Amino acid sequence: MADQKAISASIEVENRNKARERRKLLMISLIGLVCFFGIWELVVRVGLVPIRYLNPPTMVVRTFFTKLMDPKPDGATIPVHFWASFRLALCGFVIAVIVGIPLGWIMGYYKIANRLIRPLFEIMRPIPPIAWIPISILWLGIGYQAKAFIIFVSAFVPCVINAYTGVTLTNQTLVDVSKTCGASKWQIFRTVCIPSSLPLVFTSLRISLGNAWSALVAAEMLAATQGLGYMIQQGRNFVRSDIIICGMLVIGISGALMSAGLAFIEKKATPWRTEK
Amino acid sequence: MNQTKEILKTIGFTMLSIGLFLVLWTFLAVRNPDFLPSPLICIEKLGQMMGRPISRVSLGGHILSSLRRVLLAVFFATLIGLPLGLAMGWSRKVNAFVAPIFEFLRPIPPIAWIPLVILWFGVGEVSKVFLVTLGAYVPILMNTVTGVKMVPPVLLNVGRIYKASNVQILREIVLPAALPAIFAGVKTAVSSGWMIVLAAEMMASRSGVGFLINRGMEAYDVAMIIVGMCIIGVVGYLISIVLTFLERRLCPWKTNLE
Repeated sequence: MADQKAISASIEVENRNKARERRKLLMISLIGLVCFFGIWELVVRVGLVPIRYLNPPTMVVRTFFTKLMDPKPDGATIPVHFWASFRLALCGFVIAVIVGIPLGWIMGYYKIANRLIRPLFEIMRPIPPIAWIPISILWLGIGYQAKAFIIFVSAFVPCVINAYTGVTLTNQTLVDVSKTCGASKWQIFRTVCIPSSLPLVFTSLRISLGNAWSALVAAEMLAATQGLGYMIQQGRNFVRSDIIICGMLVIGISGALMSAGLAFIEKKATPWRTEK
Repeated sequence: MNQTKEILKTIGFTMLSIGLFLVLWTFLAVRNPDFLPSPLICIEKLGQMMGRPISRVSLGGHILSSLRRVLLAVFFATLIGLPLGLAMGWSRKVNAFVAPIFEFLRPIPPIAWIPLVILWFGVGEVSKVFLVTLGAYVPILMNTVTGVKMVPPVLLNVGRIYKASNVQILREIVLPAALPAIFAGVKTAVSSGWMIVLAAEMMASRSGVGFLINRGMEAYDVAMIIVGMCIIGVVGYLISIVLTFLERRLCPWKTNLE
């Protein structure tokens, strides 16, 4: 009895220590953030860095709220710019997924398809999506098609490769079991290989979404009349660092949100996957 | 016997696939030569570009100036990322202090920094190296942190039992154990740096491979763009081969993680 009491008491002490440690680390994190924003604010307010080059965080927040409604000086409000970028990203991305993933699955399952298509992929793979910007602008103009094409290219290659790898890594035992139970080739492909490739497919989607988002920003900076990349480029032309920083934060936060959204869909789509 | 047959089959299909691709390309090129020059014209263009300098820099010079920017940036990124990553992986307090700031800045793609960096440093060499550094330090830092955190506790305990000082543990145990992860980070950093340098050079530059393809766009010279893209791809591929080779030499104890 006494032993048990001692044990539970020591567990209690241990838990309390752990909680205290967590609180301490949380405090340090908060101090870190406060220091970061404080120094940022101070160097500008004191005049170490001219306000032309760096706007303090408070002004950036204020600019964000005015830009929500006010189209000056670059011609559109933040929601309009955001929607322009987001629509493009979504459009190119969805096409890449619809074309790329089934192609990867087929390449993974049918050897002939793999042998025919694979070499072309290996040639295209080392070319970064950004290198496609000039040629797609020449081919498709500076409208939305060129940018949707760039997004498509940057998402397409990882989609195909990961869908392919996912299918080839299917557990052979599962395939054998279904064969023993008399499943047809098509049934095996549909009910065993495809589900087992999904986790890898989702990983590739998250990676390629990040790539696509930054390629889109680059394309919008080079040639566009709308979009978040255009907004920050105009911010530079007007020497308005508040607009640039505000745009950068919107780009960063929306990118992070999209990737979180994909992670959520992944969880819904692959419920059999255990948490690690 | 069976194996050679398999290899021959693969080679045959590869040739077939590339052949079909070239035929399709030529077919499309004959129909709109302005839009898409044929493969022959592209090869001719490559010869021309190798012979005559483009805006006073030879083709090799363009490649070298891009490479120099990337390597310089990766060097600076390692200089910042490695010590910071070691400190963050080693001490939970340092990690708690730095990680939120890092997480706040990380989702912003390096390319989105271009306007601000140009505003700060102009369009010169400094701004390009700075931009690539911004993109390159992220994987180095993250991999170092993970590498240090993943060091097996057994190794650390052995060090402690033999009364190694903290510096000794760090130098003799943590660093070698984390080296494969760190090097993987450097590899990622170089390949993403190769992409960022393109963007930086396309925005404002007088040299570099990004300048080449942008110049092709401005001159409406599709052959030049295609040659430039091929060069970018080939150089990127060679970089990754060299890095894989270096990795094997530098950390032969690396076990395959897959």
